[in-house]
Amino acid sequence: MSTTQAISTREASGRAKPTGTQERRTARRNRLTSGGLLVPALIGLTISFIVPMLWMIRMAFNEGAGSGVVIETFTLQTILDPLTDSYYWWVIWNTFSMGVISATLCIIVSYPIALFLTRTMSRWKGILIAIALAPLLTSDVVRTYGWMVILSNDGILNTALMNLGIISSPLQLANNMSGVIIGLVQIFMPYAILAMISGFGRLSPQLEEAASSLGANRFTTFLRITLPLSLPGILTAFLLVFVLSISTFVTPRLLGGGVVQVLATSIYDQTTELLNWPFAAALAVILLILFGTVVGLYQALTKKLEGE
Amino acid sequence: MNSGIGRRLALPSAVLAVGALSLSACSDSGSDDVEGSATSGEISIIGYSGIWEEQYREAVIDPFLEEYPDISVDYNSNRSSAEMLSAIQSEGGNRTTDIAIMDVAISNGGNQQGIFSEVTEEDVPNLANVNEDLVNEDGYGPTVMLDAVSLLYSSDEFDSAPDSWEVLWDEDYRNQVNVVAPPSGIGINLTAITADMLGEDFTESIDQAVEKLQDLAPNVQSWAPNPDEYQSVMTGQTVLGVGQNARAQYYADDSDGAIGATVPDEGTVYQINTINLTEDAPNPEAAKTFMDYALSAEAQEAFAEAMFYAPSVDNAELPDEVSDRLVEMGDDAVIPLDQEWLAGVRDEWSDRWNREIVNN
Repeated sequence: MSTTQAISTREASGRAKPTGTQERRTARRNRLTSGGLLVPALIGLTISFIVPMLWMIRMAFNEGAGSGVVIETFTLQTILDPLTDSYYWWVIWNTFSMGVISATLCIIVSYPIALFLTRTMSRWKGILIAIALAPLLTSDVVRTYGWMVILSNDGILNTALMNLGIISSPLQLANNMSGVIIGLVQIFMPYAILAMISGFGRLSPQLEEAASSLGANRFTTFLRITLPLSLPGILTAFLLVFVLSISTFVTPRLLGGGVVQVLATSIYDQTTELLNWPFAAALAVILLILFGTVVGLYQALTKKLEGE
Repeated sequence: MNSGIGRRLALPSAVLAVGALSLSACSDSGSDDVEGSATSGEISIIGYSGIWEEQYREAVIDPFLEEYPDISVDYNSNRSSAEMLSAIQSEGGNRTTDIAIMDVAISNGGNQQGIFSEVTEEDVPNLANVNEDLVNEDGYGPTVMLDAVSLLYSSDEFDSAPDSWEVLWDEDYRNQVNVVAPPSGIGINLTAITADMLGEDFTESIDQAVEKLQDLAPNVQSWAPNPDEYQSVMTGQTVLGVGQNARAQYYADDSDGAIGATVPDEGTVYQINTINLTEDAPNPEAAKTFMDYALSAEAQEAFAEAMFYAPSVDNAELPDEVSDRLVEMGDDAVIPLDQEWLAGVRDEWSDRWNREIVNN
């Protein structure tokens, strides 16, 4: 390096140094500002979510002695009790299958609606989306009671079928798992539609047109182009409905007629009737593990799809 | 170390309390200390919800407030006694409830945990009038009212009241019966009634009762009826059910006889409610005044006429048209059942229902 070049470089770096420091300062200030803005939310999250969650997990290692008496200890037995009991495996299976079936059916009935709402160029698109999401304006309890009116033995559906002479005695549509699934599918449809609309970003009409121009019929185009590209949205919707289903209490309780025992209803019985808080906490931890497993699977599948 | 759930709540409660305190510090509530004398201040009562609350307010609380205008009552309702106990436990050391009216099986648990305190005739003079069999032997809150389990039936389907619990198993009523399964007290009591009906000593075993109740399943439309077992009979959704006599009698009048309630020949069991003073009650003196009023003949008669709960005091006198419709103390139809013992087997019986009857 010549002397002239060295001087030029020093001058250049001398001029650049204050600018870089200023940028770093600005960036640091921005980081502090955004970090500061996060503090209230983090405190709120810690108080309302993390502390109760940790408390619940700790409770699962205590022992319950009935009537709300908690024996403070540290034992795995409270969590092992349901895990070594065939009845609670049946409850876990009920919870899991209820989540899978309701999420699958919800996707099947919501997919065409979400696809239509994504593609439509109608000037009524906004209103149509609002209509699809309108059920969210009423609570789950109200909608579940609505299904009780429709599905019960003397409900609208059975009465209509009997008056039409299609059936001679009422169909058992309520007070069992079928009724619960019907209710859950309708109740969670808006969530599925919303999740799929937001996950259909990769869908491109140009790709479908290209497939058609290369000789693919509509079914092949759907199977080879549309469906694979909409998989991220489908997976997100499935996860959302599954998680909402396995943790829901109202619909299994009201439409299940006491026959549908899932983790949420068992937790309710343990907390409000038998007052066995450690056992209820143990069931809640199992529900959390079930939820975590499915989220893990979702992450793995999503990564795989992104890799493709 | 044994401790109530309230103590376990201490840490998260403390964190939440910091936020709550900072918020309350910003407000100018200006509230005075609620602790008062025997005839003043605010008392907080926890009791049942719905129609029970409505009738109890009208028959007991409102006349009490008229008699003691300087006392105010804050009534907190809950669906079940277990929920009430849970609510009181969660208060921990910051007690806000003065009085709890709840099922004896649950209040016994509260007595053992030191949640409720003892009361004497000096505190509550009308305690002297409580039937000797209904006074707590250890001095805790006494029975304030009695009820019994009854058979509910649709008056459209039955010209006269069925005289046996066996009607629940009648094949003619497939899918037309509602029974609230345990842990609800109704299901627990039905287990004892069924065992007794079969000649089985339920203090030893309920195997025969469980087998018999398994046969009931095909007739049951719902083990968790909504809104409740009474409404489903009144609206014609079901024909038969099992419920509490007091509420059923009330609904019988309210529905112009659409629902009927009867105690079959095989007998029934009591559902007993106690009135309890909490340990460290914020206003114990006024709370004792209320307890005394609730145990007065006047209050007991008024609530019996309003809601068909049998009085627990010996000096209450009821008109025949009322006493004929409730199950009073010493009634021959009542199957002896130690409620304290029952509380100890409640979990086990609930478990057997879940595994062997409801989900069999």
